[in-house]
Amino acid sequence: MAGSNEVNLSESKRVVPLNTWILISNFKLAYNLLRRPDGTFNRHLAEFLDRKVPANANPVEGVFSFDVIIDRSTSLLSRIYRPATGEEALPSIMELEKPVTGDIVPVILFFHGGSFAHSSANSAIYDTLCRRLVGICKAVVVSVNYRRAPENPYPCAYDDGWAALKWVNSRPWLKSEEDSKVHIYMVGDSSGGNIVHNVAVKAVESGIEVLGNILLNPMFGGQERTESEKRLDGKYFVTIQDRDWYWRAFLPEGEDRDHAACNPFGPNGKSLVGMKFPKSLVVVAGLDLVQDWQLAYVEGLKKAGQEVKHLYLDKATIGFYLLPNNDHFYTVMDEISNFVSSNC
Amino acid sequence: MKRDLLDSCGGGGGGGGGGKGEEGSSMVSAKGKMWDDGQQQDAGMDELLAVLGYNVRSSDMVDVAQKLEQLEMVMGNAQEDGISHLSSGTVHYNPSDLSGWVQSMLTELNPPSSAFASSSQQTPIDDPLLAPSESSTITTLDFSGSRQQSEHQSRIYNDNSDYDLSAIPGFAVYRRPDQQGDGEKSSKRMKTASSSSSSSTQQVQGNGLASVAESTRPVVVVDSQETGVRLVHTLMACADAVQQDNMKLADALVKHIGLLAASQAGAMRKVATYFAEALARRIYRIYPQDSLESSYSDILQMHFYEACPYLKFAHFTANQAILEAFAGANRVHVIDFGLKQGMQWPALMQALALRPGGPPAFRLTGIGPPQPDNTDALQQVGWKLAQLAETIGVEFEFRGFVANSLADLEPTMLQIRPPEVEAVAVNSVLELHRLLARPGAIEKVLSSIKAMKPKIVTVVEQEASHNGPVFLDRFTEALHYYSNLFDSLEGCGVSPPSSQDLMMSEIYLGRQICNVVACEGAERVERHETLSQWRSRMGSAGFDPVHLGSNAFKQASMLLALFAGGDGYRVEENNGCLMLGWHTRPLIATSAWQLNSNFNSTSTSASTSALTQ
Repeated sequence: MAGSNEVNLSESKRVVPLNTWILISNFKLAYNLLRRPDGTFNRHLAEFLDRKVPANANPVEGVFSFDVIIDRSTSLLSRIYRPATGEEALPSIMELEKPVTGDIVPVILFFHGGSFAHSSANSAIYDTLCRRLVGICKAVVVSVNYRRAPENPYPCAYDDGWAALKWVNSRPWLKSEEDSKVHIYMVGDSSGGNIVHNVAVKAVESGIEVLGNILLNPMFGGQERTESEKRLDGKYFVTIQDRDWYWRAFLPEGEDRDHAACNPFGPNGKSLVGMKFPKSLVVVAGLDLVQDWQLAYVEGLKKAGQEVKHLYLDKATIGFYLLPNNDHFYTVMDEISNFVSSNC
Repeated sequence: MKRDLLDSCGGGGGGGGGGKGEEGSSMVSAKGKMWDDGQQQDAGMDELLAVLGYNVRSSDMVDVAQKLEQLEMVMGNAQEDGISHLSSGTVHYNPSDLSGWVQSMLTELNPPSSAFASSSQQTPIDDPLLAPSESSTITTLDFSGSRQQSEHQSRIYNDNSDYDLSAIPGFAVYRRPDQQGDGEKSSKRMKTASSSSSSSTQQVQGNGLASVAESTRPVVVVDSQETGVRLVHTLMACADAVQQDNMKLADALVKHIGLLAASQAGAMRKVATYFAEALARRIYRIYPQDSLESSYSDILQMHFYEACPYLKFAHFTANQAILEAFAGANRVHVIDFGLKQGMQWPALMQALALRPGGPPAFRLTGIGPPQPDNTDALQQVGWKLAQLAETIGVEFEFRGFVANSLADLEPTMLQIRPPEVEAVAVNSVLELHRLLARPGAIEKVLSSIKAMKPKIVTVVEQEASHNGPVFLDRFTEALHYYSNLFDSLEGCGVSPPSSQDLMMSEIYLGRQICNVVACEGAERVERHETLSQWRSRMGSAGFDPVHLGSNAFKQASMLLALFAGGDGYRVEENNGCLMLGWHTRPLIATSAWQLNSNFNSTSTSASTSALTQ
C-alpha cells in the first residue's frame, strides 16, 4: 500500500471538493487509530474525537430538536427534529410533543452511519443531515442512538432500531390527521442503511407498516471479494481491511460475512418473496468499494418482487451527502424528497 | 435551483453552490453569505466544516489537506506498533482545531530533531509546532525496547493503567539518570486559542463585561408519561402566572401541582415538589432564610459528592489540569476558593507524592465563609490534610481565610510568592456564579486572580442558563436542568447511592432550586451560567484557555463506569473543556485558564505563543 499511496491520494482529491476531502480523510485517519488489530476499539478516544452537538429546543433555521429516552434499560436515546411552526418563537416544553399538524406528516426514523462502531445521533455530521431532512421532506425526524459494536454487537443495533420503530409507531402526537396513523419512513446511511433493512423485515413480520426505506451507501458485504472491492480497495477513503474489521466487530463470534446480517440475499439470507416489504430507494456511490454488494441487494429485492428504485451516482464517494457542496448531494436530496412525498 | 434548495434545507450549510474540485472551498468563503453571529467563528473559517464541528480557516485548507496526506503516508509506513501509541499513549487536544490536531500527530510520528533543546532550567517550551504534552501513568512506565528512538522515548508512554482512584495519573517531570543532558520532559502543549463555542450569540462590551444571550437550549425529555407531562404543564402555567404577576391564578395552580405531584413517581415527583415549594415561596413572599450554617450545607454537599459523580468529576478534571500545570515546579500553591471539607485535595496530594523525582512542597490556601459558632472550620480541614501530607511524605503548608464573599479578598492577604519560586493554581468549584449576584464582584475577583499570577485557573460550574433576565425562562431552564439531575440520581445499577446520600442530595439540590426560583437580587446566588458564557467572561478578562485532553477525558469516563446508572453519564469534550452530563444533556463543565500572554512577565511559560485562529 505504501508505494501506491501517492496515486491513491491524488485520485480521491480529484473527485471531491477540498472540504469534503479534508472531512473524510480526517475521519479515515482518526478511525485508523481507533481500530486495534486485536478487534478491540478505543471507545474513549472515539468519543473524545467525535464532534457532537447538543439538541436545541430553540429553532435554528426552522428546525428544533430534543432528546428522548426511549428505553432506560439500554439507555436508548433518540433525537427528535421538528419543524418550527412559527407560531411560537421559542417552543416551550409543551410544544415539544405537541401533535403534528397536517393531513399527512411523514415521520422519518433515521439511523446514522459509522460502520456500526462510530458516531452517534448527536454527532455533528448527523445532526446536520437530520436537520436538512426535516426541511426537505417536511417531516419529523427521529434519529436513533443505537448501541454500537464491538461492545454491543449483533443484534443490539437491530433491537434498538426495532424498539425505536415501535416507540414511534405508538406516539399519539406523531399521528397524521388524515388517518390517525403514524406515517413512517426509514432512512439510514452506511450501517444505518443495513439497520433499515433489518428493522423493515421485523416490521413486516410484526405488522407495523413502514411506507418506505431509503438506504444511502448501505453497508452490506459477503465472504467473496467482489470486483468493485478489488478495484477500489484503498482508493477512495475505504479499504477492504477496514470493512472486514467492522464486520468482525459486529457479527457474532465465529460467523463469517455470509451471515444474513451482512449478506441479506446471500446463502444464509431470508427470502422476501411474498412479503409486503416497504418500497425502497437505494443510493449507491460509484466510488464506494462495496457497491457490488449494494447492487446485489437491489437485485435481491427485485427478484423477490419488491419495489425498489436504484440511484447510481457515478463519481460519488462515501460521505457525499454530508456536505452540500456537490451535485450528488442535491440530486439525492431531490430523490429523497420525491420518495417521501409520493405517498402510497 | 441549488440556492433555493439550500435555503429550504433545515439547519447547517453555508454557501457553496456545488463546485467540484479544490476550488470548492474558496467559493464557499467568497460567497460572503450572511452568517449567524453565533455561528461565525473568526473571519475566514470554512463554514461547511464549522457546522460539522471543525474550525479550519479557509486559507489553511490546502495546508491541512497536505498535512493529512503526509500523515496518512507516515501512518501507512509505520508498523502497527508505531501508530498504536498515537491512540493509547498520546494525549490529544481540542479535535475541533483540525489543523492543530493533524500537526500534533505528524510531530508525534516525525518529531523535528531540534525539538528537544536541552536546557538546564525546567522551562516548558510552548511552541505550537512541537508535540503536545503527554500524560502518563506515573505508576506504570513502559520502556520496552520496541519503542521509538531513544531520544523520544521519554515522551511516549503506554497509558494502559487501570484507573486508580487514589492516585491521579498525570504529567510527570521525569528524569532519566542515563539520559544525556537534562532528561526532563518539556511540557509542550499544543496551545490553540480556541474559538468559543458556536452555540451562543455573544456580545462583549467595552469594559470587559460580557453580556451573552444563550441561544442553545439542550433538552432531554426524561419523562414522557401522561402524568409527567401534565405536571410539567401545570408547573409552567404557574410560573407563567407568576411572570404575569397574576398571583391568584398562580396560587390556585401551585396547589394543584401538589396534588398532581403526589400521583407521580420517582424523580419527577421530587423535582415537581421542590419547584412547587419554591413557587409558593415566591407567590407568598416567604423567602427562604439563608440561615443554614455553612457547615450544614457542606454536609449536604458531601452527600451529593457521594451520591453521584458530578463533584468527583469536577475535582478529578480540575486536579488533572493542576497537576499538568505544576509539572516541573518545586513549590506549588493551590488557592481553593471554596475549601469546604477539602475533599478535592487528598487525591491531588497523593498524585504529587507519586511524582517521580519527588513531590513538590505543597501549600494550600483555603477560603471559606465565617462560622456562626466561631469554630475554625478551615483550620480543622487544614489539619486533617496536614496529617495526610505527613503520611505520604509531602511538605505541606496550610492557611485558611474567612471571607463572606470572594470579592472581599485582596491578593496581598494571601502572601503569594513570585511565580519563579512557587507555581500558583487558583481553583473554583461552583463558586464563581455566586458573585454574579452583586454588580462588580466578578470583575473584582477575576482581577484579583490575575494579580495572583496563577499558572493555572481551574473553573467548574453548572452547565445551565439560570441567570437570564426573564423569570419564566429561568424557571424553564431550571426545570429541565434539575429534572435531568434528579433523574440521574435515581439510577440503579452497579452501586446505587445510599438512601441517606440520596435524600441529602435531594435537599442539597432542592435548596438550589429554591434559590433560583424564589429569590431575587443579592439573595439569588445560584446564578448559573453556561460554559460559553464563562468562556466569554474569562476571555474578556484576559485569560486564555488551557485545554484538557484525551487523557483526562478517558480517565473521567472510566471514573463514571464505576457509578450507578453508568450508562447514562457521559463525558463530552468541548473546545478544550470537559463536560459531564446525563445522557446528552451536559450538567457540569470544567475549564482551565491561564493568563493571556500579555500578562505574563517572567513566568516559566514566557514563550507561550498561542496558535492564533
